[in-house]
Amino acid sequence: MLQCIFLLSDSGEVLLEKQLTGHRVDRAICDWFWDQILTQGESLKLVPVIASPTHYLFQVVREGITFLACTQVEMPPLMAIEFLCRVADVLSNYLDGLNEDVIKDNFVIVYELLDEMIDNGFPLTTEPNILREMIAPPNIVSKVLSVVTGSTSNVSNTLPGATASCVPWRKTDLKHATNEVYVDLVEEMDATINSFVLPGFSVFLSLFLHYSGQLCSGSPVCIDGHPKQLANVFYLYSLSCSDLSPLLILLLLRDGNLVKCEIYGEVEVNSNLSGLPDLTLSFANPLIFNDVRFHPCVRLRPWEANQILSFVPPDGQFTLMSYRVKKLKSTPIYVKPQFTSDSGTCRVSVLVGIRNDPGKSIDNIAVQFKLPPCVKSSDLSSNYGSVNVLADKTCSWTIGRMPKDKAPSMSGTLVLESGMDRLHVFPTFKVGFRIMGVALSGLKIDKLDLKNPLSRPHKGFRALTKGGEFEVRS
Amino acid sequence: MLTQFGATAESLSKASTMMFRIGTDAHLYDDPDDVSIAPLLDSKFESEKCEALKRLLALIAQGFDISNYFPQVVKNVATQSLEVKKLVYLYLLHYAEKRPNEALLSINYFQKDLGDPNPLVRAWALRTMAGIRLHAIASLVLVAVGKCARDPSVYVRKCAAIALPKLHDLRLEEHTAAIEEIVGMLLKDNSPGVVGAAASAFASICPNNFSLIGRNYKRLCEILPDVEEWGQIVLIGILLRYAIAKHGLVRESLMLSFEDLEIQSQEKDDPESSHLTVRKPFDGASLDICTEIADIVARSYLEGPDKYLARLGHVNQDSLGFDGSCITSATSNDDVKILLQCTSPLLWSYNSAVVLAAAGVHWIMAPKEDIRKIVKPLIFLLRSSGSSKYVVLCNIQVFAKAMPSLFSPYYEDFFISSSDSYRTKTLKLEILSTIATKTSISSIFLEFQDHVRDPDRRFAADTVAAIGLCAQKLPDVSNTCLEALLYLALSESSNNAVALMGEEEILLVQVVKSIMAIIKQDPHSHERVIVHLVRSLDSMSAPAARAMVIWMLGEYCNIGVLTSKMIPTIFKYLAHRFHSESVETKLQIVNACVKVLLRAKVEDISELRLAISYVLELAKYDLNYDVRDRARVLKNFLSHCKGFNYLEEADYRTEFNDLTYVFAEYIFGGTKKVPSESFSYRFYLPGSLSQIVLHAAPGYEPLPEPCSFADDETGHSPTNVHNDHESNEIDDSDDISGSLDEENTSDYSSESVSGEGGDSYIASDSGEDEEAGTLIHLSDDAPDSGDHDRVSVKNTSSGLMDAGELMSKRALESWLNENSDSGQNSSNLSQVQRSLARISIKDIGQLVKPKSYTLLDPTNGNGLSVIYRFSSEVSKVSKELACIHVSFSNHSEEPMCNIFLAEEKPNPSPDSSEKSGSPSESVLVSHDKEATLIPMEEIDRLNPGQPADRVLQVRFEHHLLPLKLVLSCDGRKQQVKLRPDIGYFIKPLPMDIESFLKKESQLPGMFENIRRCTFSEHLNQQNDKDEPPQKDIFLMICEKLALKMLSNANLHLVSVDMPVAANLDDLSGISLRLSGEILNNSVPCLVTLTLKGTCAEPLEVSVKINCEETVFGLNLLNRIVNFLAEPPR
Repeated sequence: MLQCIFLLSDSGEVLLEKQLTGHRVDRAICDWFWDQILTQGESLKLVPVIASPTHYLFQVVREGITFLACTQVEMPPLMAIEFLCRVADVLSNYLDGLNEDVIKDNFVIVYELLDEMIDNGFPLTTEPNILREMIAPPNIVSKVLSVVTGSTSNVSNTLPGATASCVPWRKTDLKHATNEVYVDLVEEMDATINSFVLPGFSVFLSLFLHYSGQLCSGSPVCIDGHPKQLANVFYLYSLSCSDLSPLLILLLLRDGNLVKCEIYGEVEVNSNLSGLPDLTLSFANPLIFNDVRFHPCVRLRPWEANQILSFVPPDGQFTLMSYRVKKLKSTPIYVKPQFTSDSGTCRVSVLVGIRNDPGKSIDNIAVQFKLPPCVKSSDLSSNYGSVNVLADKTCSWTIGRMPKDKAPSMSGTLVLESGMDRLHVFPTFKVGFRIMGVALSGLKIDKLDLKNPLSRPHKGFRALTKGGEFEVRS
Repeated sequence: MLTQFGATAESLSKASTMMFRIGTDAHLYDDPDDVSIAPLLDSKFESEKCEALKRLLALIAQGFDISNYFPQVVKNVATQSLEVKKLVYLYLLHYAEKRPNEALLSINYFQKDLGDPNPLVRAWALRTMAGIRLHAIASLVLVAVGKCARDPSVYVRKCAAIALPKLHDLRLEEHTAAIEEIVGMLLKDNSPGVVGAAASAFASICPNNFSLIGRNYKRLCEILPDVEEWGQIVLIGILLRYAIAKHGLVRESLMLSFEDLEIQSQEKDDPESSHLTVRKPFDGASLDICTEIADIVARSYLEGPDKYLARLGHVNQDSLGFDGSCITSATSNDDVKILLQCTSPLLWSYNSAVVLAAAGVHWIMAPKEDIRKIVKPLIFLLRSSGSSKYVVLCNIQVFAKAMPSLFSPYYEDFFISSSDSYRTKTLKLEILSTIATKTSISSIFLEFQDHVRDPDRRFAADTVAAIGLCAQKLPDVSNTCLEALLYLALSESSNNAVALMGEEEILLVQVVKSIMAIIKQDPHSHERVIVHLVRSLDSMSAPAARAMVIWMLGEYCNIGVLTSKMIPTIFKYLAHRFHSESVETKLQIVNACVKVLLRAKVEDISELRLAISYVLELAKYDLNYDVRDRARVLKNFLSHCKGFNYLEEADYRTEFNDLTYVFAEYIFGGTKKVPSESFSYRFYLPGSLSQIVLHAAPGYEPLPEPCSFADDETGHSPTNVHNDHESNEIDDSDDISGSLDEENTSDYSSESVSGEGGDSYIASDSGEDEEAGTLIHLSDDAPDSGDHDRVSVKNTSSGLMDAGELMSKRALESWLNENSDSGQNSSNLSQVQRSLARISIKDIGQLVKPKSYTLLDPTNGNGLSVIYRFSSEVSKVSKELACIHVSFSNHSEEPMCNIFLAEEKPNPSPDSSEKSGSPSESVLVSHDKEATLIPMEEIDRLNPGQPADRVLQVRFEHHLLPLKLVLSCDGRKQQVKLRPDIGYFIKPLPMDIESFLKKESQLPGMFENIRRCTFSEHLNQQNDKDEPPQKDIFLMICEKLALKMLSNANLHLVSVDMPVAANLDDLSGISLRLSGEILNNSVPCLVTLTLKGTCAEPLEVSVKINCEETVFGLNLLNRIVNFLAEPPR
């Protein structure tokens, strides 16, 4: 079980500590941890489980704040990590985001929350709705009140009724003036796209030719692909077929340049319903789901039987389920980077355009990539949007809404370090975008029913697709 | 803040942030101690207290030690404001262990809060009370937990479950059974929330007490989906362990796949089965299992990898050693079936830890065909936060190694994204190379090609290694891989020529390493590759890569025509470059020389000879002694075996049998066995911390031995006891930081006097006949009317404290009902006739010699010595004053004048950091109130040798800290310390035995405390005097004990009872009862001493105190135990 939780700022300062068990953990462990970060670099921040000489450390980094938990004994590491994530979620929800100042400003609330969330190293109350009842979040009213009157208590005097009920995520007697429930499909598109023929590939083939050492004529095969690639394929295929391993043919036949394209989606519900509503949500095409994950309120049996979501919702905003739809065929936009290097400089051009029009406008488009370490200086400009190159060689190109009249492009030159003739490593482009009103997975909500309607609630549905881990390799 | 108009920008911006942060606690965090906190704490306004506590909390957050505020904070525990209470609790929990004595002060308030109608208050009080972890109050907490475990509020019950491990942490052996009983009770709770918390308590307290689970197994399985997520994680693990301990492994599961294979191979006599990666089609389905690894995984899960690996050394292959009885079947066994059924919906949980735990159960218990179910949920976890992604991958890696077919259709999900951390990337690479199949390798390989060009060269090198692994695993693609690698090697080496970057080297080295590994598998078909590598040697700059290429050259110098043709040229080239090579490369060149010579055909030798001898000659005089030494040794070899330098070619066959040649042949020419991949993998249970850090974390336990838990619903089996014992041992070793007051634990005992009471007689001391020569009167009477009452009382009160029965229903009931129904108990017990002898000790008061202490000794006091002793007199001025006799005597030559003892002037800052002498004694009242002193008469003149006695009346506010007094003598002032004795904070309360027993019956449960000690004073007596005891030894011992009690504490001796049926020598059963009342509040305080043992050895005395002031009682108890154990003066 966890022994201690530390909150560290991004400069390594211990913002606060919360001892959880009798075996107190000295702060020195944070110094050790920070020394390791300094010596091993930031990459250690991405390692969730660290074995220090005295303790096992679990860390979760959120918006610059490191949540560090220590234990000395065996425990499920995911439990610790998941819990820290939950703490981070709750805190950022309470404090409207996380940063050093906001934690310092509200340290009492952070302590009170931690005390309710974990007892003796074992999670106690983590349901945000109940926590909100027990400890009031700081809001402008209470702030003003505390200035005027000098004190207000943010600790509730009563135990939330939900702790005793069989639906611990919901307040027992809720009354809303307006009965309404909104369902949002929020999807993120994860894609990996190879935009060009591998430069190495052609050489690879020519090597092949070299070794096979003989030419024979074969029938050309029509393969969809890049012209440069095709040329090579024809050439290759014209060689002795005996030498050509089936693998190579497969390599060449890969459809398009889409390595991977899938949707990670969440069904977010905002429920403002009185009483104890029992909802059912069904989809028109539930079979497209590859994997699913549910909020604890979802009854699993109806889903197993008929793919119907039956649940008593918590009050307010929550994520009802998350799902994944795999093997999508196309992406809404394309990004085509091109690098041509010649004697110490490299010419870059990046084109962005709509590939398959989703029917709605695409906005919030941003392209980001990291210049290779061997680049000394860069000079990049775009015909639309703004380009920024940060100190850590991150180049971000913010386009915003896709223009109707022209295709956005960015171009410029990179100067390589002396001695380098050409670029031999190529950056990966991360692409962000947003399309309102469309769920690219094709998921459709069939209907939403309220089993015990006191009054007919107002129902609303929305959809949104964002770029997730959308990567274009150059 | 803006004192002048010319405010700087900085102060303006400060002001604006101040505006933003207004109303928050920012100022408290930034300057927590800009005001004096102490007066705020004592304020009568809740808001000021609150602010002070917030400031303290800020100081805690910033890592300052502010435990010196403890007494003031503890006072505030009595507050009505919940916020203040919460803050006080936070503070208490943080420092209670540092300040155990002061923490005891809060106990009474907790007990009050435990009866509060608000469940939140009850829960908080319980959580905090258990959280302060003091041995002294362990039994109180246990009772409180037991009470809260039956609370109507779910939340309070849940907190009770969580409080149990806190109690268990104190390692109170005598409470173990009681704690486990509460765990069992909570596991039966109706509310899933409580069950979850109880499961976590079970896991940390008694993970091997399977009988508790056995009783509820089915219900626990069914309730599992409703348990809250954190409880699910733990409960799943418990159920899995139980199922294995009860039913053993599942025949169809992966854990026993090796057994399957053995059976199969016996049937088919399949020679391939011993091969490392046996791919065995299972029932026609495309399940391929790496059985050997699966077997290791299974053994590791059962035995723990360290043990398994250690054993691997001598016992090579034995089966897991199951007879049929330890194997069960998932289809026929209901328990297994229900476990699998109830865990499978959890694979859809939002909590990744739950998913992994459920997947672990299926991995271990499910039939092989059904394991597939866990794959998609596991892969879906990869989309959650980056931190959990890594942990999940670590587990998938093991699954994939044992059963690659599970994950091979999902290879695309392990494709690497640029946002992954380096460790995640390498894990994904490893998994990809494990699960690659003929059909997927093409896509995987294409991905690898992308990664090779990744800006992170370390990662690129790892990719190359993965390519090498794939090629070795799938011989079909090895050619392609090799071509690609060769291309890489050539292009990389040319890159290197252009830009000499340190990072690039690792990639090249890895490429050559991978090529080497592939070639090793089938050197003959890859001659061309070697030639290419050798040809590019000139452009390779990385020494390690060069060394490997040269090794290959030497190793495979005669596999084909091309190489043997190249060799002379190459050696010329190497000879030419030898001086500029690195040591590593030089060594390989020298080695290669020998290999080439050994394998070369006779006709080539002449051609080689010149170059090689030149190289060796160079090496002989190299700067590096390793190179030098090796060259010399090898030259020696060669000179003997082949007539390398001096002998004629024709002669070499005559030397063929030379020993050195055999050596050389052995060292260099031997058929190189490809070292089989050693199983250094360590497998730990899925989802465990140990699996991530790859060593057994403290507290890690492998699966229980299959079928080790045999009995059903019948309490503890021998195995069980054994297991408990083991787990205790493990726990002990885990305890790294250790508990502070370990030594206190053993002193406590809950064993009660009731055992002795059973075979004793009760008697009223009706007669007090005088008997010459003895102070003790023996009478043997029939039980009188007070009997009923007494017996019932005894049963209720002692039943509570009996170790085994502590939490038995009846005792609990009676405690909860505040003993209102004690009469009911008495009715069914009244027929039990008991009697015992009562001894009365007369005139013992005269023999009482209160212990005296030195206030000032003559060496320090210029010849004045001051001795004081506590007197049993009661002050006439106020009942709160304790009387102290102070004796002054002048040991000097000259008379002294104006001797006066007075209170010291109030010390502005009470030295609160001063540690108390004995950890079990405590503070009664916070010590900023000064003790009051009734001044003594001044001694005008004290002549040499003259003594003078005075009586001092003192009110000790604080029975622990010494009272500082000033002794003035002849105008000089000297500080002296008067040490309080809690034994004299009470005064005798005369009462008879009936009222004593009645009083005792009203103070059960948390008002009752027992400690044990040994009393050995009677032994010395016997030895010293060495005369036949003219008195009855029983009487003598009772007298000694009574005297000791009365000389050290101001008590009234109520009665001395002894069992009539006792043996001559056996003192067991004698009990002394004493009573007193606390000076300042007249709360009665009852002391019962019960003896155990024989005359000839130290007696075991259990001291019981019943007192409403629990803390005072505890301290008095400790004091009594201390002085009883003290050697006689």
